Amino acid sequence: MPGEITGGGLTTVDKYYQDYGCRARELKKQGKQIIGYLCAFTPVEIITAAGFIPFRIKGDVNEPITKADTEMETIVCPLVRSCFDMALKGKYEFLDGLVVPHACDSICRTYDIWKYSLNLPYAHFINMPHGTGDASLEFYQEVLNTFRTSLAKFAGKEISDQALAEAIKLHNQNRARVKELYQLRKASPPLISGEELTKVLIAAMSLPVEESIEMLGGVIDEVKGRGALFAQKPARIMVIGAQVDDIAFIKLIEDSGAWVVADDLCPGAREFLASVDVTADPIAGLAERYLRKIKCGRTYREMTGNYEEYLEDRFGHMGRMIDDFGVDRVVLYIYKYCDPYGFEVPQIKSYIEAKGTPVLYLEDEYSMSTIGRLRTRIQAFLELLVK
Amino acid sequence: MSEEKKPEERKKRRTATEAAAKIGPIQKANIQGVAQAREEGKKVAYTFICCCYDEIIRAMDIVPMWTETYAGICGAKRDAQRFLERAESENFSRSLCTYALCGLGFDAWREELGEMPPEAPWGGQVRPDMMLGSGQMLCDPRNKWYQAAQHYMPDVPIYDVGLPWPPYEDDYDYREVQDYYVKYIVKELKGLVKFLEKHTGKKMDWERLSELVDLTDKTWNLIWEAYELRRAVPTPMGTGDAMNTMVPMVFNMGTQEGYDYYKDLYDELKLKIANKEGVIPDEKYRLVWGGGLPSWFALSDFNYFNSKGAVFPVETTYRMIEAIYNFDMDLTKITDPLEHIAWRWVKFWTYWHDRARKRPGSHPDVERLIKYIEDYKIDGIVMHEAFSCRSWHVGLIWQLNQLKRVYRDIPSLILESDIVDISSYNEADTRARIDAFIDTLEAVKSR
Ligand code: SF4
Ligand code: SF4
Repeated sequence: MPGEITGGGLTTVDKYYQDYGCRARELKKQGKQIIGYLCAFTPVEIITAAGFIPFRIKGDVNEPITKADTEMETIVCPLVRSCFDMALKGKYEFLDGLVVPHACDSICRTYDIWKYSLNLPYAHFINMPHGTGDASLEFYQEVLNTFRTSLAKFAGKEISDQALAEAIKLHNQNRARVKELYQLRKASPPLISGEELTKVLIAAMSLPVEESIEMLGGVIDEVKGRGALFAQKPARIMVIGAQVDDIAFIKLIEDSGAWVVADDLCPGAREFLASVDVTADPIAGLAERYLRKIKCGRTYREMTGNYEEYLEDRFGHMGRMIDDFGVDRVVLYIYKYCDPYGFEVPQIKSYIEAKGTPVLYLEDEYSMSTIGRLRTRIQAFLELLVK
Repeated sequence: MSEEKKPEERKKRRTATEAAAKIGPIQKANIQGVAQAREEGKKVAYTFICCCYDEIIRAMDIVPMWTETYAGICGAKRDAQRFLERAESENFSRSLCTYALCGLGFDAWREELGEMPPEAPWGGQVRPDMMLGSGQMLCDPRNKWYQAAQHYMPDVPIYDVGLPWPPYEDDYDYREVQDYYVKYIVKELKGLVKFLEKHTGKKMDWERLSELVDLTDKTWNLIWEAYELRRAVPTPMGTGDAMNTMVPMVFNMGTQEGYDYYKDLYDELKLKIANKEGVIPDEKYRLVWGGGLPSWFALSDFNYFNSKGAVFPVETTYRMIEAIYNFDMDLTKITDPLEHIAWRWVKFWTYWHDRARKRPGSHPDVERLIKYIEDYKIDGIVMHEAFSCRSWHVGLIWQLNQLKRVYRDIPSLILESDIVDISSYNEADTRARIDAFIDTLEAVKSR
């Protein structure tokens, strides 16, 4: 199988990005079963361990949302609406099942709509708690075990600890490759553009983990091999937001005279930089990663210490990335109707600005139609920098 | 905002019951009492409705400042816009929960001034000593709002109670998981008690807590019985009134006043039924308010429905109780008060699961609608989609579609506006849509 995807890292990426889901479709024809999922909070390791291929459902900023509105209110975040619209339009007809984690209201409140409308052979909601204390962690382990049992029933076979441990190893390996790729953004100018990297991460979420590892290896080799390709640009940008599963916005920034060299997004640093610890009970390691290691607005972190320490606990990783990747401007990019991030804007903005990095906050709708307006804002923000 | 620019306050809405008419002063006392209690040295907490801590805070003499209701009051007084705008200028998106935005705008303003914003409705939202959030399976604002409020009040501590409930799934029953849900909730509530003890310097009086828990059970049963009386034709009380009578249900639980209020309501409804006194004498259409919080600034739309011969004997909104004795377990046997609260919570949220399981393709929310349609002799469904609250307003279209698939076609109307943000509301349009809906009901009836 790996033989099929050699022959150029970035060319392969491009194919998988342009025709998102094409590989899953092929694999389906070969008799594999594909489980679609939403959001970085789906424990993909369990799906892999059960012998299924986890496939992340994405939207399409170029496709106007039409069908979704007959079943789903327009007050849902536009990203989720677009994903659902694509699913209703048959883009993901190869799915055998759907897994939806308790991420945010837009995802949680639409689970039943997804489940009953798509009517796939399998559906499961992972009721992840908000809190991160010990009681929440213990509860979450139970929730993961409920998922494990349920998926095993669908698979018709047990999901052993050993299979889980192997899946964890693979997904960690996948993450390690992404981390390696991120290192290539540190150079100035970066060795890989933000647009390219975003494409890679999106392509990766449509592949079985083994193939993703292979593809990432190819990309790393290619990028290292081609050396310094890009010209200097006057700004190095970090983008912070929820899910950005399209290159349009990143490309817009890079076309406006800046490099995107860092992010706190998913797919992106939020989900790839944290790996699963090897624990005697693999579920314990998984619970720890998804509940505590991934820092996302959907999760409530209990306050420890004073308020400054608390902000450091919630947003310190952003500050560290700014330093490590030589970021000089931050774009906070949030979709309308996004509750977890919408409420964080003043805190994130002031946290980063207090550290001396300017922040541009943009609210958007997940549609190409807003690009013109955003371009003007971004250009004005970048002009401020060169002055 | 200057006096002349302030939008006109609404005239008092006409209610059918005395119980509903009594709510104004109760609600005012709930809010204005906070400032007074504060002066007496009591601890004030920002609180949300339906978060399982009612009896706990009452037992510990914590004074609740219900932040959702404060925003609702600003909305009802048509004086929320200035707080919403303030929140927007702080970079909060206008697409977020407008209760939260109103509250955050208010907090930002109050903290900046060091005193209440000018002419704050009912004396204003008092600065709290602590904030009690909640992580649930709906409503992100319940754990994000207070976190965001700390931006303005970094010294005010938060406790966030994890309160999940089992989802409705095809391949397992909630009974297979309920034990670990309850175990978790009990731990979270224990954590809350500890937190309150730390911040008040007082110890929990467990005996008092047990009494209040029993009192709440009794109140739940009483409310259920009172509300069921509304099945009568003509119905003695509609949803417009229920948007008032819900006040003690969500703000005064675990208090004797709350219980007494529903005793009076029960008696009043009984009397009305005996006298055949309905909301309107000649009911043409009986409707269920099938979901969505109301536009607090436009409650008179319910009177408009009445003027067209339509009444709402039942609603799903703010009916946050079931009769305890109808649960599939004997709650009276659970003597530990925290465990008791946890079981009550899980049983409430799974109450409709068994019925749903019996009808292929059904769902608990849809079953509840079906049961109400049958029990209350319903001709049509009205819902309201408030744009800013995903918690209660996503899934409404789907519920109607599903109802049609598994049950039958029934006329329905989804109104669109908001709970607080009056700029989303157009009275003429709303009423035109109501008129058209009434025509549909008429056409169906005369078929
Ligand atoms: S963008 Fe925000 S609201 Fe939408 S799915 Fe992500 S976290 Fe949820
Ligand atoms: S989102 Fe809805 S349920 Fe949550 S606080 Fe706001 S109005 Fe209340």
